[in-house]
Order: sequence, then C-alpha cells, then structure tokens
Amino acid sequence: MPVLTNLIILAPYALHRDAWQALLTLQPGIQVSGAVENVSEAAESLIPDQANTFLIDLVNPQPEIAQELRSFAPHSGLLFLVRSYELSLVLPLLQAGATGFISRDASVGDLARAIIAAGRGEIVLPPEIAVQSLMALAQAQPANQARSEQLTERESEVLTLLAQGHTNKDIAQALFLSVRTVEAHLRSIFAKLAVNSRTEAVLWAVQHGYGGRK
Amino acid sequence: MQTTPVAVLGTLAEFHKEPIPYDMQALIGLVSDLRPDLLCLDMTPEQWQQRNFGGLPPEYREALLPLAYQTDIVVAPIAGQHPPTEPSAPGWRGKTIATLRRWLAYLQRTAPGPDAINQGLRHHTADLLYNLNTWLAGKETRLAWQEHTSHLTQAILDLARRDPGSRILVVVNVQHCHLIRNALKKYPQMQVVKYSEL
Repeated sequence: MPVLTNLIILAPYALHRDAWQALLTLQPGIQVSGAVENVSEAAESLIPDQANTFLIDLVNPQPEIAQELRSFAPHSGLLFLVRSYELSLVLPLLQAGATGFISRDASVGDLARAIIAAGRGEIVLPPEIAVQSLMALAQAQPANQARSEQLTERESEVLTLLAQGHTNKDIAQALFLSVRTVEAHLRSIFAKLAVNSRTEAVLWAVQHGYGGRK
Repeated sequence: MQTTPVAVLGTLAEFHKEPIPYDMQALIGLVSDLRPDLLCLDMTPEQWQQRNFGGLPPEYREALLPLAYQTDIVVAPIAGQHPPTEPSAPGWRGKTIATLRRWLAYLQRTAPGPDAINQGLRHHTADLLYNLNTWLAGKETRLAWQEHTSHLTQAILDLARRDPGSRILVVVNVQHCHLIRNALKKYPQMQVVKYSEL
C-alpha cells in the first residue's frame, strides 16, 4: 500500500481552510487530518509514526510560528505558502525550523509534491533560491571539518543534487533511480559524513563546495 | 541475486481520435494504487528532457505524467526513437489492414476500463490483430517494430541493472506487451508479474 502523507492545514480563515481541504483531499498520496485556525489546535491532528506536513497559509508568516510548531512536532514538515521567494522572508523562517516554501503561483501538482517531500523532512526550496539560502544557512553554522569516508561516484552525484536544494524525488528523477534507492544512498552518505540529519548533510555539502557543482 | 519485479500494462494508445470510453481517473487510480518506483513510458529521452509531450497519447499526457509529477513515481523514457509509422500496404493488404484497425478501434471504444485491454479475450485479440497488421505490411515494417520493441526491452533491463529491486511498471501499446514480457522472462534477475501483483 502506498504510504500517505498526513496533512494539517493551518489557516486563519475558514474559507481558505475549507478550500485547501477540498482540493488536497483529492490528491494521491495525501490525507488531510486537520484544518485548524491556530497553532494551539494543531497538535491534535498529528498522526504519530507517519509523515506529517503542516501547510501554513498566513498573510505574514513569522518565525515564531515555526518555532511553536517545532516545539511539539520536531520531525514534521513545515511548508509555508509565500507570495514570493525573498531571501529576507525565507531565511528567518528556515532558521526557525521551516522546511519548505511554496509560492501562491505554484500549480496543484507542485503543491502536492512539496507536501509529500516536506513530510519526509526534506527541505523544499525552488532552485533559484536553494543554493543562496543553503549557503546563508551554512555560513551561520560552524564548519564541520570531520573527515569523511570516500563517497562513491553515485553518492557524490546524489550529494551534489541535495546541496542544490533538490528533493529526493527530484534527485531520483534526475538519475532515473527509485526514491527508495536515493533514500538508501542518503543513509549511506549520512553515515560516511558522520552527520545525523539531512540538514546537516546539506550544510556539510554546501560548506564543501558541492552546491556549485554541475 | 536481487530480482526486479516488472509488470507490463498495455494501452491502445494510438487511437487518439477514438473516444476513450472510460474516465482517465480510472487509469490514474489504477497506477496510483500500484505506486511503482519506476514508470517506463514509450517516449524518447529527448521528448522527456524537452518536456515535449504534445505528440504523446492522452493516457500519458492527461493521466500518467501528471500523476508521476506529483508523487514519488519516477518516469523513465525507454524509447530509442519515435514509434515506427502505422503499418500500411498497397492493394488488398492495405484494405485488410484498414479493416483490422477498425476492429482495434472498436476494442478501444468498447473497453469498460483501462485494465480491460490487459485481460482475457480482448487482450489476446488486440495482440493478434496487431501481429496480423505488421505481417500484412511487410518485412520492413515488421523489422522496424521489432527493433522498437527490442529497444524498449533493453532500456528496461538497463534500468533494472542500475536499480535492482525497484518495482517497474511499463505502460506501452498492447502490441509490445507479449514481446517485452517474453524477452524479460529470459533474464533470471527479472521477475515478470501481472500488473495487479506488482
């Protein structure tokens, strides 16, 4: 059976919540478990041991929202709807725990794949700002100088695409591999780099020049 | 040795102008439930890279490509070149081909769902009609179709070699189904299954 991503919609207006729910319930791979007005109601809609994504539809999204959601949903995807991908808006939210952004101009298909990717803990950024954002994040982190084991050619390819802000699906599609195989490569990369998370691996890769490779 | 499960689903894709009697959502639902890792389609890598989907059948354009785009299904273009032109011939052979194509179109028109063309009499009848058509069209046409099918098969094997164990669904015109299945069965690393068992 396909694994479903559990979606919780956070939007202050009832009409918006109903519209998102009606639209996204129809999309394959997604089940909507809740549509809530504010953060305090959101925890009840989380489904344990399942991929959870919050779709956050606020006029002026503030980093505090991401921090509050992170406090009770540390492993969930936090996907913010934004008018534009301005670094000044995106970066504070990323630093506060956001995992992705989707433009209000995006297609339903783009939104659905972003929800699924965010649920897996992936960083969802459009390519035009991914490298910039990740480099800015990496500069704020102490450089990880831990020596890494030699990566295979395939692992290097995967890491390069990861550092360019691609999701697992994008990487799989670019290399014509299954998403599960890409996930296996990522696990191996994490072990070789001695990192514990995708974000750490991305930051390591950006700090070591992978993001700029073609 | 890790085996790679593969299923081949047939369509009567070239009958674009025949009304497709079933809702395309049924095809989306069928493939969505199977949720293969790799979805092999009869299109060239150039068509894929350029996102040039205009000439592709509606099953691809309206159902499979949008579904793959928003899920974890990875699309693999497996054609070496565009499919050969439809079989044709002068004289009585041409008239017979035209008649057989009308029968094929009838099979498409009366299919109650996307899986109907893959089961029982309808599946075997379609296969027989296509074989007769290429036989009537002559050796050159037959060889061109054989070459096309052979390239599709080779591309599937290459994918399985690169990513053993991934669940592969091939969706191609029904005339390729038997040939591809039979060719893949010769390889011990390939586990050819019914699409419902993928």
